[in-house]
Amino acid sequence: MNDMRIVERDVESSETKIAARKVQVYYGDNHAIKDVDVDIADKTVTAFIGPSGCGKSTFLRCLNRMNDTIDICRVEGDILIDGEDIYDKRIDPVQLRAKVGMVFQKPNPFPKSIYDNVAYGPKIHGLARNKADLDQIVENALRRGAIWDEVKDRLDAPGTGLSGGQQQRLCIARAVATEPEVLLMDEPCSALDPIATAQVEELIDELKQNYSVVIVTHSMQQAARVSQKTAFFHLGNLVEYGETGQIFTNPVDPRTESYITGRIG
Amino acid sequence: MSDAAMDTSGAAPQPTKSLMTEDARTKKRNASERRFRYYGIAAIGTGLFFLIALLTAILTAGIPAFRQAVVEIPFTMTQEQYDEAEAAMLKTGIYTGYFIDGLSAEMKERGVDIEFDKAAVDRLLGKVGGQLRAYYRDNEDQLGQPIGFEVAASSRVDRYLKGTFTRGDLVEGNRFFMPEDFDLIDAMRDAGIVKQVFNWTFITGVDTGVDNPGGAGIGASVLGSFFMMLVVLVLALPIGVAASIYLEEFAPKNRFTDLIEVNISNLAAVPSIVFGILGLAVFIQFAHLPQSAPLVGGLVLTLMTLPTIIISTRASLKAVPPSIRDAALGVGASKMQAVFHHVLPLAAPGILTGTIIGLAQALGETAPLLLIGMVGFVARYPEALIDGFLEPNSAVPAQIYNWAARSDAVFTEKAWGGIIILLLFLITMNTIAVILRRRFERRW
Repeated sequence: MNDMRIVERDVESSETKIAARKVQVYYGDNHAIKDVDVDIADKTVTAFIGPSGCGKSTFLRCLNRMNDTIDICRVEGDILIDGEDIYDKRIDPVQLRAKVGMVFQKPNPFPKSIYDNVAYGPKIHGLARNKADLDQIVENALRRGAIWDEVKDRLDAPGTGLSGGQQQRLCIARAVATEPEVLLMDEPCSALDPIATAQVEELIDELKQNYSVVIVTHSMQQAARVSQKTAFFHLGNLVEYGETGQIFTNPVDPRTESYITGRIG
Repeated sequence: MSDAAMDTSGAAPQPTKSLMTEDARTKKRNASERRFRYYGIAAIGTGLFFLIALLTAILTAGIPAFRQAVVEIPFTMTQEQYDEAEAAMLKTGIYTGYFIDGLSAEMKERGVDIEFDKAAVDRLLGKVGGQLRAYYRDNEDQLGQPIGFEVAASSRVDRYLKGTFTRGDLVEGNRFFMPEDFDLIDAMRDAGIVKQVFNWTFITGVDTGVDNPGGAGIGASVLGSFFMMLVVLVLALPIGVAASIYLEEFAPKNRFTDLIEVNISNLAAVPSIVFGILGLAVFIQFAHLPQSAPLVGGLVLTLMTLPTIIISTRASLKAVPPSIRDAALGVGASKMQAVFHHVLPLAAPGILTGTIIGLAQALGETAPLLLIGMVGFVARYPEALIDGFLEPNSAVPAQIYNWAARSDAVFTEKAWGGIIILLLFLITMNTIAVILRRRFERRW
């Protein structure tokens, strides 16, 4: 099947962007992530796959401390971004989230204009010195989100009035507008139709020129299409992590093989 | 796919029964659904019936308070008459004489002939001499000109004309009203010089003593209510919204915050008179704030309104989808920026509605005001803005309560009229709440 094709890919950069060591996450008494060790390389697309409830989204949200908003959630172990422990007391989660952007499962544009949606991040981080600057940032972000041509004539229209696929690309544009170094995507295509999905995937491929992209997905085809490295999670454990081609064609662990061939999950 | 394909391969299954006839079970189910619908309609019908009955009662009893009988006669006073009266010792007596002459002349001209004396005019129309003198002293240029002089009839005339006071109602020995006065009223009515006008005194006036029920107005107490609402709005809205935002967005979820939550819900159910006692003890006896002042009333009503505002604000904050918070945090907004830039604007319509409903509730509250002394007799307007807060005043519901407690039927009528004013305020506030809600509501 064409969907399952494994494209030739070279992992250009082997420089580690994110290093996780012995990460444990607890929701109250529930041990959701067990002993995860993973190195995520810069300027690559890393896919997290696994059955529902395996902890891949939880782990993703640990990378920019979005789990801080959940009272009962507790994270142990070290997660280093550029060698800095992001759970260190001196780290301000607000600065961290400016550096590690996030796109959510459900498109969630602010109920404001398209322009304001994208301009909000740069505004609160003081990235623009004046209006012209901000306009330029917004335009660049929308271009990188591959949605500029569709919305350039109606930047004042509400972001919530766009179609699902457009909304998600707007959210991606919003995330890249703050110039992050890492982009986390939590099932960005689960609410989209195949055409919108293809557009977003194309976009992800372009984004990897500048960012380290981590994508959680339920679709193994998608993981195979867009990622260079794949991590398979199962019941809170990181079962296998490696080159996407190797994971899909020659998995080491029998559980990985069962999952990608459709026997579990 | 495959299942459907297999079905068609066999013989077509025989239909077990027709769908055109209802089986026993369906019949029963449909009947119970129909029954339930009738219960609902009956419940709404009952509600509507009582609402209509209530409104009819209020309107029929209260509308007369807004109307006032006046006697209008064409009148001309010459310069000589004016000079003569002004030179005399008992000036108003002479003016009364002029008025009586004018009145009998006018009635004769209209074909009604009746004997009456000054005392009868006093009883029916009040101190006309004084009014006439005041008019000409203010408008000396009108001397010698024909004018239409209008004088308000006493409340008993009013009620006799409205039919709520009949000859049979007159108690023997009432010095405010004699049996022959009925004839004079009839005569004036026949002459066509009595007419009904809108009673502005009721809107703009202040409370009066029992001897002048017709002149009593609700104006001062409306002002008292207004100043109280100002205090409530300025205190309860920021405190309530700040408390809700803290509890909903920032506070850790632990036993202590749970305890606070439960207590806020309980406070919303505390009888308002308890807040009155609290206000009396804390604001007046302990803090020595002035008694009967709208400031104290406002503080007490603030305490009473806070739980309502907090509960509705928290509900509307909760209703903002978490994805909006995630989105804001995801682009690196701080918690406070996420709340103030995104969550609060979305919750604003709900907060405003809750606040206005809380205010409306406070506006209609009487019990706590009884305890802090805001039911006194208030016969004047506050003179300065600060007096509006600190001078003793009443409030609309307290004034209604006060009037309803007096024996004179005119005051009862005024009480009903006051209820109409109160209802108008409440309807206005609720309409504003609905309009604000529609206007600021955003979809996502």
